[in-house]
Amino acid sequence: MSLLQVDDIHVYYDKIHALKGISVHVEEGEIVTLVGGNGAGKSTTLRAISGLLHPRDGAIRFEGKALGGLGAHDIAALGIRHVPEGRRVFGRLTIAENLDMGAFTRRDRRVAKDDREQMLALFPRLRERYRQLAGTLSGGEQQMLATARALMGKPRLLLMDEPSMGLAPMMVEQVFETMGRIKAEGVTILLVEQNAPMALGVADRGYVLESGQIVLEGAGRDLLGDERVQRAYLG
Amino acid sequence: MTAVEHGRAGAALAWRRAALVGLGFGAGALHLAAVGVLLMLHQRWIVIDTLSLGQATVLLLAGGAGAMAARDADARLARGALAGLCATLPLALLSLAMDAVTLQPIFIVLTPDLQAMLTLGMPPLLAAPALLLVGVAAGLLGAALRAIPALSRALLPGAIAVLIAGVFQELIQLMLQQYEGPVGEARDFVYTWEGLTQQGAVTVFVVVTLIAQLAGRAARGRVAAMEPARRRQIWAGIALAAIVILPAAAGSYIGQVLMLVGLYILMGIGLNLEVGLAGLLDLGFVAFFAVGAYSTALLTADAPNALMHLSYWAAMPISVLLAVCVGVLFGLPVLGVRGDYLAVATMGLGEIVRVIVLSDFGAPLLGGAQGVLHIPKPQIGSYTLSSPVALFYLTLVAAAIAAFIAWRLENSRLGRAWMALRDDEDVAQALGINLVRSKLLAYGLGAAFAGLAGSIFATMLSSVYPSSFQLLISINVLALIIVGGMGSLPGVVLGSVVLIGLPELLREFGEYRYLFYGAVLVVMMRLRPEGLWPSDVRQRELHAGDETAALDAGADLLPARE
Repeated sequence: MSLLQVDDIHVYYDKIHALKGISVHVEEGEIVTLVGGNGAGKSTTLRAISGLLHPRDGAIRFEGKALGGLGAHDIAALGIRHVPEGRRVFGRLTIAENLDMGAFTRRDRRVAKDDREQMLALFPRLRERYRQLAGTLSGGEQQMLATARALMGKPRLLLMDEPSMGLAPMMVEQVFETMGRIKAEGVTILLVEQNAPMALGVADRGYVLESGQIVLEGAGRDLLGDERVQRAYLG
Repeated sequence: MTAVEHGRAGAALAWRRAALVGLGFGAGALHLAAVGVLLMLHQRWIVIDTLSLGQATVLLLAGGAGAMAARDADARLARGALAGLCATLPLALLSLAMDAVTLQPIFIVLTPDLQAMLTLGMPPLLAAPALLLVGVAAGLLGAALRAIPALSRALLPGAIAVLIAGVFQELIQLMLQQYEGPVGEARDFVYTWEGLTQQGAVTVFVVVTLIAQLAGRAARGRVAAMEPARRRQIWAGIALAAIVILPAAAGSYIGQVLMLVGLYILMGIGLNLEVGLAGLLDLGFVAFFAVGAYSTALLTADAPNALMHLSYWAAMPISVLLAVCVGVLFGLPVLGVRGDYLAVATMGLGEIVRVIVLSDFGAPLLGGAQGVLHIPKPQIGSYTLSSPVALFYLTLVAAAIAAFIAWRLENSRLGRAWMALRDDEDVAQALGINLVRSKLLAYGLGAAFAGLAGSIFATMLSSVYPSSFQLLISINVLALIIVGGMGSLPGVVLGSVVLIGLPELLREFGEYRYLFYGAVLVVMMRLRPEGLWPSDVRQRELHAGDETAALDAGADLLPARE
């Protein structure tokens, strides 16, 4: 049984047919990436999985349990954490407080404190700035914080939306490097990226989306070598 | 440009700014004269036969201009004098103009009385320069007070005390009226019914100056050494003690005013949960107040349309509960609405409640425009809480409980959920926060406090009418939160005192007090947008670059790894 099974979902924004039957599966321990251009439906897919949008048709299953009809907070409680696009940290809270917000669904505060220590080990930059307001962090640091905050909820599946967007090249590399370490901690990742070469390089498998449909799928390396992908995204 | 030229240009700029500041204050004075405030203030003595409130206002404006112009390092006094001159210039020109042509047909308040005030009975050609001279002197004084701290420490406390004693003379006399003996004699020495006597003003000035000097010398070192937070706590303690003791000592009028302040504090605490913590801008808040008031009325009143005749103590919790229900119902239709749209939508909902109460449809139960009469006062044993002072203490207890609950909520899981929702709804949900439940709880709990206030309001007035539940109440509550400091409990108290208490105390100035109210709002938002007593988070937000603030605020800190 797959950890996440998305079956033929259709999402509409009013009359616009945004997702025209997307089917994706993610196995335990994998990094899976959705790549594609602007408006291909990558973020929409993630929002549908995390319950911020409700598909009109199709089914989403997490560990065999159907997610249809559940609210976003219920889905978060099941162990799916969404790191939305654009590094939305709580700017007027400190980094420590932001991390605490991530542990919101968990009532055992003592364990949460250990987890916080673990996050700081994973993202040493955050330790240096521990008591600073999140709004004063650089873009890359905010991305780290948003990721760490999501991990504080001990998710089984992490949904990451464009983590490299707007970051300096060195930061981008760092972001992808941490993804490997998150995977090593046993967290499965579904990654949405415009930076197809980086994403496909780190991913086990990938899907290529185009205007709401999946046009290609395969192992990350194979897609990277695929002529059509090369032409479309890698110039 | 050479350095010297630079300096010269800078100085010219500073002189121009001083003149502009003065003219700005002068325009204010001219405005006050043209709308009639100045003359009205002139008819009130601060010190009998010496200084009227109107004259004091002109002096204060000129002095204020002088103080504001004296902010640079050099030529402070001269710039202050210039600003003072410019501040009185418009009034001087006005007095000359009034002498030359009859302006009264256009500006009806430009009467001979005003002319007499501006000229002090002197011939106009002499009076105008005299007025300007007074302005120069006031500007000089203002600048000197700012430039020389020792001078302001020596003069300001006494001067402020005289001003307060003069402005609030009616009120203070009302308070002192109940006392005989030495207090009565002191009162007769300081006051007549018109205002402060000359000897009274001198006495107040000397006594307060002496006390300030002595207390200042004793406390200055220690206060300066104290942290700001600690200093604020002490001020809060003093204010609280004053609020608790004052009504008992000062009689029923003050009791009534403070009671109103207390009701607004209750509502402010409630709305603060919605707006300050959860970020839900609610302009229909008065609806919950109305529900609380009408519930209590219908459950207790000795009227034909009353449903029951419960005791007040039984009716109050039911009223609060009903307000909560209405709050949740209120929240349902606007769950997906945000920001400005939410303000308009809630305003509509609030009006619906008022219209229902006023309608013929609800009249058999709610009494229509006649309202519900004969609401009994609460009783404890055989004692009836009938006096405003007794009811004030009831309000005070209610407000204290409300403040405690709000304080606990702020630091609870729910409080954090609200804060997250306020900042970013999507992220909050993705972190596992239940949007619907948290929002409805914000509306419900906010409504509970307003319902409680309404319940006390009903028994205070012994009757409820639809006309008591205007949109203006919602706006007032919102304004007091903003002025006090969004999301801050002490801010709610301070905001209520400033925006509700002071206008009540200034009732003798009639409708003009709303002019002051408006001016206070505008000035506050310009000078202190974070409010009088901002919450910690809000303060951090406005000083985000200041890392030490964040360091101070970090509650539980992890030690950096070695």
